[in-house]
Amino acid sequence: MSLLRGLLGMELIGISVRLFLDFQEKPASLGTFFILIDKEVIYICPFNGPIKGRVYITNYRLYLRSLETDSALILDVPLGVISRIEKMGGATSRGENSYGLDITCKDMRNLRFALKQEGHSRRDMFEILTRYAFPLAHSLPIFAFLNEEKFDVDGWMVYNPVEEYRRQGLPNHHWRITFINKCYELCDTYPALLVVPYRASDDDLRRVAAFRSRNRIPVLSWIHPENKTVIMRCSQPLVGMSGKRNKDDEKYLDVIRETNRQINKLTIYDARPNVNAVANKATGGGYESDDAYHNAELFFLDIHNIHVMRESLKKVKDIVYPNVEESHWLSSLESTHWLEHIKLVLTGAIQVADRVSSGKSSVVVHCSDGWDRTAQLTSLAMLMLDSYYRSIEGFEILVQKEWISFGHKFASRIGHGDKNHADADRSPIFLQFVDCVWQMSKQFPTAFEFNERFLIIILDHLYSCRFGTFLYNCESAREKQKVTERTVSLWSLINSNKDKFKNPFYTKEINRVLYPVASMRHLELWVNYYIRWNPRIKQQQPNPVEQRYMELLALRDEYIKRLEELQLANSPKLSDPSTSPSSPSQMMPHVQTHF
Amino acid sequence: MEFSELIRTGQAQAELLRGPEMPPLRGTLCVTGHHLLLSPGPQATPDLWLLLLRSVDSIEKRVAGDAGTITLRCKDLRVLQLDIEGVEATLDIARSIEALSSLESVITSFPFFYRPKGLRLGEAWHFHPPERYYKRIARETWSSPLPVPQTRAWRLSEANEDFSLCPSYPRAVIVPRAVDDDALARSARFRQGGRFPVLSYYHAPRGTVLLRSSQPLTGRQKLRCAEDEELLRAVLAEARPGARGFIVDTRSAQAAKQARMTGGGTEAKAAYPGWKRLHRPLERGRPLQESFVRLMEACGDPEQSMDRWLSRLDGCRWLSHVKEALSTACLAAQGMEWEGACILVHGAEGTDSTLLVTSLAQLILDPLSRTMAGFQELIEREWIQAGHPFQLRCAHSAFSHTRPKHEAPIFLLFLDCVWQLGRQFPLSLEFGEGMLLALFDHSYASPFGTFLCNSEKERCLCEVRTRTHSLWSGLNQPKEQRKLRNPLYVPNPLAIWPSVEPQSLRLWQGLFLRWTHPPEPSEVAWEKVWQIATDQKTEGSQPTDSASEPQP
Repeated sequence: MSLLRGLLGMELIGISVRLFLDFQEKPASLGTFFILIDKEVIYICPFNGPIKGRVYITNYRLYLRSLETDSALILDVPLGVISRIEKMGGATSRGENSYGLDITCKDMRNLRFALKQEGHSRRDMFEILTRYAFPLAHSLPIFAFLNEEKFDVDGWMVYNPVEEYRRQGLPNHHWRITFINKCYELCDTYPALLVVPYRASDDDLRRVAAFRSRNRIPVLSWIHPENKTVIMRCSQPLVGMSGKRNKDDEKYLDVIRETNRQINKLTIYDARPNVNAVANKATGGGYESDDAYHNAELFFLDIHNIHVMRESLKKVKDIVYPNVEESHWLSSLESTHWLEHIKLVLTGAIQVADRVSSGKSSVVVHCSDGWDRTAQLTSLAMLMLDSYYRSIEGFEILVQKEWISFGHKFASRIGHGDKNHADADRSPIFLQFVDCVWQMSKQFPTAFEFNERFLIIILDHLYSCRFGTFLYNCESAREKQKVTERTVSLWSLINSNKDKFKNPFYTKEINRVLYPVASMRHLELWVNYYIRWNPRIKQQQPNPVEQRYMELLALRDEYIKRLEELQLANSPKLSDPSTSPSSPSQMMPHVQTHF
Repeated sequence: MEFSELIRTGQAQAELLRGPEMPPLRGTLCVTGHHLLLSPGPQATPDLWLLLLRSVDSIEKRVAGDAGTITLRCKDLRVLQLDIEGVEATLDIARSIEALSSLESVITSFPFFYRPKGLRLGEAWHFHPPERYYKRIARETWSSPLPVPQTRAWRLSEANEDFSLCPSYPRAVIVPRAVDDDALARSARFRQGGRFPVLSYYHAPRGTVLLRSSQPLTGRQKLRCAEDEELLRAVLAEARPGARGFIVDTRSAQAAKQARMTGGGTEAKAAYPGWKRLHRPLERGRPLQESFVRLMEACGDPEQSMDRWLSRLDGCRWLSHVKEALSTACLAAQGMEWEGACILVHGAEGTDSTLLVTSLAQLILDPLSRTMAGFQELIEREWIQAGHPFQLRCAHSAFSHTRPKHEAPIFLLFLDCVWQLGRQFPLSLEFGEGMLLALFDHSYASPFGTFLCNSEKERCLCEVRTRTHSLWSGLNQPKEQRKLRNPLYVPNPLAIWPSVEPQSLRLWQGLFLRWTHPPEPSEVAWEKVWQIATDQKTEGSQPTDSASEPQP
């Protein structure tokens, strides 16, 4: 069987150009794509019934165009999105459209194709899809390594840890940058560069590492520019059933506390429910006890583990795809507990942010291994505290830093190129984080530079395998595979066309801390993401909205430019942002009387 | 009657708590004929706090030691707490508020005393929507590209000049030209409350019409009325040869049938050829009021017990009412736009769900009704002049302890549906959430006369037009515009078809959770959007001004 059978057949060149691009994106070099299958199938659309279409499968995507005159349907599914492919019906199947393929996707949809029984057409399609959707099982490279797209900007340059720490004012006389993990010898799931207390020596760090799960020692994530309290992240201490203690770990946490002289307690947030933390003792883990850590207070944040989150999202899919559970929509939604989990994550992050912002104490955050719930909490708290992360590049840096470099196990949680769809390691932790960001952006419509589309494209390429950004579990693995040299960064795509992802209502406010309301009343299901495949929730005429937003963006840019000119022309002391007209308090005198 | 008889005490020392966001206010509390005043003394910055007594929905008092607490639940859904020094004073003030806030007399209500600066009496009462609207139809039918019989098919009838045909209709109504005033009078006798079918909206692009009425009085004997039948026949004949019509009955088929027992009923198929009946039951009256009450109980519940918020919200069924109202309006609009059919909407009295459906259908179809002026005209024409009994329906909002009699938040349901439209089509409405909130507040308690009384007839008797100010003149003042208008508005010539799936509808947080800890007060965000959208036009003069403001 020749896989290259359909390699850009002459008659296909017209369509092929469109095939390989996301519309409106820049042409990519065609050399890396090849068409593997080109045939007529019936797409069993859950909303409009069976539709005859022509399917093209390349080594990157499955693309289907309706052949029926009254339907303009186009399916465009990167193979990386596929989590499972099943054959439906057998040789004896008689019913109409009962023989074909069932495809489960990671992005809240399923696809079903009916095929003719004769001519092995199903076997070919099944084999090719399996091969290219799950390249790891076939010793094939993930598509990102074949992608030769070129962009004007290099997204790999967005995050430079030294620069980011310098922006935070680090190192300073309490905090130093250490290269102890340069070759990932201290902790293989941490980045090479870490920020630790000035007073802790590298030997101290090694001894602390021995007492922390997977050697993930407490390191600095963020420092408050004024009160100098910090957010630290780590994994659980290895206390075990016997209640082991480690003097070096205890001393190390005290050193962290002492970087702020006036504060006599350090706050430790254990993201887990109390019982889970106790149960972890059985497997050698645990939490910081009062006896051992005199100058610290510990709080549990009751956030459940990856398995609970996976099951919860599965229930969400059950009630939204293909058909939305209509009769008791809100009760069904409640029974998935998805929003409740969102609420707990946000509540935890708010507590972290509040501690630090009020200068009450520095904060240490951990869960079990410190790469799931911990990443959610630190990154969300940082988003609340530091307006820089609410810009497009700032958010990219936040993801790159707190998630990618600190070893959120993207490969295991997403299962890039892996056929084991039931792997217990998979979990929508990053999606949950993005959902929390979306909830915040709903509550503060002018606080974020990016729009909803930005969050959705990040999630789309979390699965697509077109970019190297989310591949592998940690920095050491990425370095070994030379990901930055051999693949393109998602940020290259986004940053070369930023306007598309901008929020026209963004008003830059430095030093504003955002406290979202994490009450069930103020959280809502992200319909535009979770139910986006359902045509019935689509509003008509999206175009005028988008066009108006673009106009507003242009107006805004011009306005800001003019404002800057005026401020320059006026007087230097007026450039203080608090006096700019964007401050709402001046515009909104409080009205007391009721008329 | 003198107000002073109802005022038990002149004044007392009190502290006012206005929710978590606002600082408490201390000062001298004073009850007047129409207001509750709190004067914090000369040194305080906000020198006076004022509450219209009419806006108090319910009052609770508690005394302990030598002080008392009064909790006021307002019709705009705010909850206020007053801590008052002295037991006697507390009880007296509570009794005074109770008595004054429940006065039923219209002509002693505050609008008859309210004389704001900058407004003149009689202003903006010049809206005469039936006449104005008739002119628009005349214009549209004349310029219509459709065949000739269409043109001049409608006339403005003053048969109701003295409100004798129908006490809840305005003096002038639009009816088919082919039907004379005598026939109208007979049709009126065949309809409950005299509400014979009248034109509500002329859909120029398709030459079809939307009519409204009340139920026919067929009764047990299955009575018929030749003039009523002729009226509906004329509607079809004048629209287009062979045109079809749909009667959207806002009751279930069974309820409509049952209504015959009490003298009502519905149009018999044989009597109205060309018309087909569709039943779309909409809740009104008590079930709707109870839904509103339960929703406010859920919204006002303290955080602790809110784990089951979503199922509780589901249980209130408020969003189902929103969904049903929007779907029925879509049905009526689709009939006109897609089927080219004429639509008659009625339920029983034709003063509640009927108006909800006809006004929403117009917003969906008619771009002019989505402008600021057009929306005001729509409310004036389809709600106020069409005889929605505001006085009865809005006597209490969600907090009243007394058993609801005629109260029902049908107008609020309309505003909520409009809000959903605005959320789904953020650019297509010229007015914003602020406008809808203002209309809600004013429909329940207002210093303006616009929402007073139950019908034009009553408003005439009370001389509302000459003795009170119109809400529209209040709202159309330049200083109010920023709060009420949508800065993103771009005229949209198309119909706006909302998605009515449950997951596309939201709780209107800006209203139902307005006073309970909003994350970012919507006015603040609104203000920023305004700046971005409009400051451009001021040629940069504004930045200079406000930038120099903070200088000492």
